[in-house]
Amino acid sequence: MTTAASALPPTPSAQHAALTAACTSIAPTFPLDRFIAVNPYWGFVSKPIDVAARHLQQLSGTSLLMKRSWFRQRWQSGEVTAAHLHTALERSDSSASIDDLQRLVERDENDQRTVLLLTHLADRGRDVGRHGSWSSFVTHSVSQLCASHFDAGQAAWSAKADAGLYRTWRAFAAADRSPALLMSCELRRLAAQLPDSHYELIEQALRELEVPTARVASYLSALLLDVNGWAAWCAYRRFQARLTGEDDEAVEELVAVRLAWELLLLRSGGGGKREALGREWLAARLLLPAEDAAPPTRDERALDWVWQHAVEIAFQEGLVAGLKGTVSKPEAGLPSVQVVFCIDVRSEPFRRGLEAAGKGIETLGFAGFFGLPIEYAPLGTQLVQAQLPGLLAARLRVTDVAASDSAAATLQARREARLGAGQSWLGFQRASTSGFAFVEALGLGYAWKLVQGTLGLSAPAPSEQVGLHESEQKRLRPRLVSNVAGNPLDLTARVELVHNILRAASLTGGFARLVVFAGHGSATSNNPHAAGLDCGACAGQSGAVNARVLAGLLNEAAVRQGLKEQGVLIPETTHFLGGMHNTTTDELRLYDLREVPDSHRSDLGQLKRALFEAGNLTRAERAPALGLEGDAASLLLAVKRRSCDWSEVRPEWGLVNNAAFIVAPRERTAALRLDGRVFLHDYRHDADENSAVLELIMTAPMIVTHWINMQYYASTVDNQRYGSGNKVLHNVVGGSLGVFEGNGGDLRIGLPLQSVHDGQHFRHTPLRLSVFIAAPRHAIEGVIERHAIVRQLVENEWLHLFRLDEQGVEQRRGQRWHAV
Amino acid sequence: MVGGSQANDRLMSSFTTFVAVFSWICIAVPALYMVGALLVSRPQGSRSAFAWQLANGLSVATLVAAAGVAVASSNAEPLADPLASLFGLTLAEGRLFSVRTDVLTSVMLLLVTFIGWVVVRFSRRYLDGDPRQFAYLRRLLLTLAAVSALVTSNNLLVIALLWLGTSLSLHGLLTHFAERSAAQIAAHKKFLLSRLADACLLGAVCLTAWSLHTLELDRIFEAVQRMPRLPTAVVISSVFIAVSVLLKCAQLPFHGWLIQVMEAPTPVSALLHAGVVNIGGFLLIRLAPLMAHAHIAQALLLVVGLATAGVASLVMLTRISVKVMLAWSTCAQMGLMLVECALGAYEMALLHLVAHSLYKAYAFLSAGGAVATQRVAAMAPRSGRPGLGVLLATGGLCLAVLTAGLSWGGVDVLGQPAHWFPIALLSLGLPSLLLNLPERRNTKVLVTIAMAAVGVAVCFGGGHIVFQRLLPHGPALSPTAAAPAGVAVVSLVALFVAHSWIRQRPASAFALWLYPRAFAGFHLDEIFTRLTFRLWPAKLPVSLHAPLVLPQTHESSSQ
Repeated sequence: MTTAASALPPTPSAQHAALTAACTSIAPTFPLDRFIAVNPYWGFVSKPIDVAARHLQQLSGTSLLMKRSWFRQRWQSGEVTAAHLHTALERSDSSASIDDLQRLVERDENDQRTVLLLTHLADRGRDVGRHGSWSSFVTHSVSQLCASHFDAGQAAWSAKADAGLYRTWRAFAAADRSPALLMSCELRRLAAQLPDSHYELIEQALRELEVPTARVASYLSALLLDVNGWAAWCAYRRFQARLTGEDDEAVEELVAVRLAWELLLLRSGGGGKREALGREWLAARLLLPAEDAAPPTRDERALDWVWQHAVEIAFQEGLVAGLKGTVSKPEAGLPSVQVVFCIDVRSEPFRRGLEAAGKGIETLGFAGFFGLPIEYAPLGTQLVQAQLPGLLAARLRVTDVAASDSAAATLQARREARLGAGQSWLGFQRASTSGFAFVEALGLGYAWKLVQGTLGLSAPAPSEQVGLHESEQKRLRPRLVSNVAGNPLDLTARVELVHNILRAASLTGGFARLVVFAGHGSATSNNPHAAGLDCGACAGQSGAVNARVLAGLLNEAAVRQGLKEQGVLIPETTHFLGGMHNTTTDELRLYDLREVPDSHRSDLGQLKRALFEAGNLTRAERAPALGLEGDAASLLLAVKRRSCDWSEVRPEWGLVNNAAFIVAPRERTAALRLDGRVFLHDYRHDADENSAVLELIMTAPMIVTHWINMQYYASTVDNQRYGSGNKVLHNVVGGSLGVFEGNGGDLRIGLPLQSVHDGQHFRHTPLRLSVFIAAPRHAIEGVIERHAIVRQLVENEWLHLFRLDEQGVEQRRGQRWHAV
Repeated sequence: MVGGSQANDRLMSSFTTFVAVFSWICIAVPALYMVGALLVSRPQGSRSAFAWQLANGLSVATLVAAAGVAVASSNAEPLADPLASLFGLTLAEGRLFSVRTDVLTSVMLLLVTFIGWVVVRFSRRYLDGDPRQFAYLRRLLLTLAAVSALVTSNNLLVIALLWLGTSLSLHGLLTHFAERSAAQIAAHKKFLLSRLADACLLGAVCLTAWSLHTLELDRIFEAVQRMPRLPTAVVISSVFIAVSVLLKCAQLPFHGWLIQVMEAPTPVSALLHAGVVNIGGFLLIRLAPLMAHAHIAQALLLVVGLATAGVASLVMLTRISVKVMLAWSTCAQMGLMLVECALGAYEMALLHLVAHSLYKAYAFLSAGGAVATQRVAAMAPRSGRPGLGVLLATGGLCLAVLTAGLSWGGVDVLGQPAHWFPIALLSLGLPSLLLNLPERRNTKVLVTIAMAAVGVAVCFGGGHIVFQRLLPHGPALSPTAAAPAGVAVVSLVALFVAHSWIRQRPASAFALWLYPRAFAGFHLDEIFTRLTFRLWPAKLPVSLHAPLVLPQTHESSSQ
């Protein structure tokens, strides 16, 4: 397999390409204060999913499939039948029989993996109990250094240099006595001799480690996957920088740091025999997968993918049957209230409940940032938080305004003073000398805080409200003030913005008397991953700001006039409201009610009653999954208590079990009970000129739902590598960078085990997203053709694509449409 | 009988009744925990909810009992003399299970049962779904039983054995995730150190028994009081006790395990930091009548305590994860508590112990809020450094104002070394209020901060006065000598200057020199870890990750 030519040291340009490839293969992870979902395999979607899985398995030992015992259980419970297996087999290119499939899952999979890194090699034959393990030592050391380098507020004292990660590491390593003390291997002198720049280091190391050109990319990828958490963090820095047209090289630097460890171990022998380690490495490096080589013939788990597909078919079967069923007729006449929800799967049961609770209530689904590309700067704070999907950069700026400028200025000054005093206090509490006096002066008072926490007496205040009393909070409302550069937005721009939003929401006519935009957010206490339960489309914040801003814009007379000129007629009798669906308690709070005209009071009363009833219905539906029972009042009390229980590790199940995304008018789904598993986006193709809205949906919400779907998928199939492990061990790093599981180790990404598992079973069933779109073939094909990323997701089977029309449902497989 | 003596008799009998009730409660509390531990061992199915309810009910019952005792004992006049009131379950010759019914017992019992209630309540939802939650609960209750019995005992041997028992049941909690090597290594280090500490304490027990012919605390104290100077055996015994305390209070350089046991569920950390690691301090306060005269032991505690408080509080500033930061903070606070014991300021040490327990339990249990805290920090107005000179001058000013104010109020500050340390501790702490001062300052902000400083001073002083009332024998036992108080104050000043320097001038040569060393924890733990690896390696669990294989052909070369 190895020819003389490919064993030659890589040339710089080939090397550069390999480095770029390795760095691109890592998906970003978002910090905890804006913890939105990303497909952690995003760097691999250009490959068919099973090929990517094989590749990843070779590089890091991960698996994209559940254990065979899990499939076996699906079979035994009857969830997957022979018919499903049969269909899955038919759709695969496998020549296996059903019997083969059944035999396959009788035995557990073999999860041996091959040595790829020199660090792992150095552990072989080492008495790790007595001398320590290099793999964990290197991971811990790199991780601690990264944490200190990227720390955003935990350490009170740091020696931040302007040097990049690699230079910082080298200075650290050249003075670090730990390898000598713990691993009996002095490395300071060797570290000091390493080159100045990370590019030079990479070049030198690859030359000395004699990594064959064709294997450089996989080697570098494997190194990054060995510190996957920090690699993902560096990838996030790059992702953010690139959103605003800049760049960041931390990923490359991290490659250099990890590679430098390999080089140091090669040069020193890692405390063992240097020549022996070198010899072993010469053999082991050839096990690295070569880039252009044909995929290995023996794929341990090729057939398992048929099983995975069968589980997905079992789910799709029910949904397809439902979608083929009768389309519910919209009620005659105009609805009295329209409520626009986020596409989030948690909206579905609530929408169903609301439609059942009140006559004449229509609900719609739309991305929860309501199309507003905004960032929010709360009054009197230094904070500027994005309120839009992670894929986009903010263009507009929202801040709080009060009835008058002077009123706002007063509130601003008060809040600044309170926040400032709070920080002075924190400084006192956390400093060296004062910490002692602090404890003796005020420690006893913490008895009361412990009582409050234990009895759940203090409800968690959303951080947006810190520094303002509730009465002060009520005097403020968020308003669009300018673009991000600070230039005010003129009327034309506002009208255009709102017009585009209404078109994308398929809401350009037939306005009800009350139209509510209901963002969503969660309410949990003491939860590092709280933002993961908030609105993903609002960058992990509550969507209330977006909802209120949009309602405010649409209530402006000038904007309505402008819209009228564009052909969108909003009746004078229509009033817009912003609201927030609390997904933990299933309460829906409406904002700015003082501005509701008197003529709409009775409509509002009815709406409030319906919302309360919808909450009751939704809570009753969710109760069994939360282990709760009782009547409506006790359920409300129970979920409220959960939301302020500081010891609650499962305040709500979030987006667990999400499995499908339906892009269609509500009448296609209104009659179905979808169990909170489906993202719902309203879309009317007949109102969509040039399929512009369809294009938007397939390139933005569809990607976001796919990312969420894959985050849950990956956190379920391999929580060790793509989930953040056990919540009871979580230890927040660097203020909000992420968590360690326990004392140290790599930064952990993805969802906690408790978010997908109840202690006995996985609550999330890892299914690839099934997307159903009510649009003609040509329109969908057009988008697929124009957007490579959509094409890759569909054709490489990272999601399933279906199409709905009056005749029925068909699926796109192998570039063709098949009726199902 | 005459009327007066009748009244006296009635008083005596009500006192005896009170002591009897107190003693029975002291025995009932650990017994209740034990009953809980036995009952929850193997719950099945629907009984699992019952197990938690039972544990919760028991923890409430013990808390109520302890609170009752505390309230009653605060009014009971005779209890002001802690050495007088005793109750014994006579067992053969010695009174092995005798109980001390003094204020220290009631304060500690209240603390332990309160922390116990909080931790049990917290664990119920926190460990929901954990397949080994009942093994966890059993060990939790066992640990609480051992600690609550320990704080009431009047017998040195019983204390030593219960301390051993506490440590053993805690070991099971620390290795709750047995498959985690990091958990095993940290627990292993703790295991070795604790056994060494136990050996020291048992050595002390033997020497005391041999020399004083008793292990009951009241008799030991009586014997010691009668002696003009301590016999050599008792001196050695006191040093053993000090060493044992230093080992179990995670003092340098044996602190590594405390930092690394974040490998156990959060409530275990809360229990450990609030209810177990401080037992050493409790023991010193309990043995105050003995230890106050043991000058070598006191000197040892002073030096190690000061070094730990200083070093650990600097290292704490460099930590990048919230729980590890909290652990270093505990290490430093325990150091300070031991310094207070070494200075004979036992009432201060008890205040520190109790206040720190409550604070640290809260800090650990609410550690998940770190992200929200960070967000609030990001909202706050930018802070500007006040400047090194301002900070140092403020420290000096506070020192001068407090000294002058108290002297004016009639306190002989300079003449009584006992006042030096608390005054220095408070005055050198207050300047930290300026560390995060907003960049744009106005009078209003400065007034707020000044008011906060006054508030802190009042609370600080109030706490001291209250605890002095509770535990009046501290200063009486051993008036603080000038030399140790001077050393402690000078060390505090040095820490204050160093801390101000690195915070205000992080780019100075001194700060840059110190930072990597502090970040590495001065490599103290690594030296110790290496030693344990060599002498007594931990048995590590088989790695969860798939085994690594090399192809056949290369297998031979690796041998």
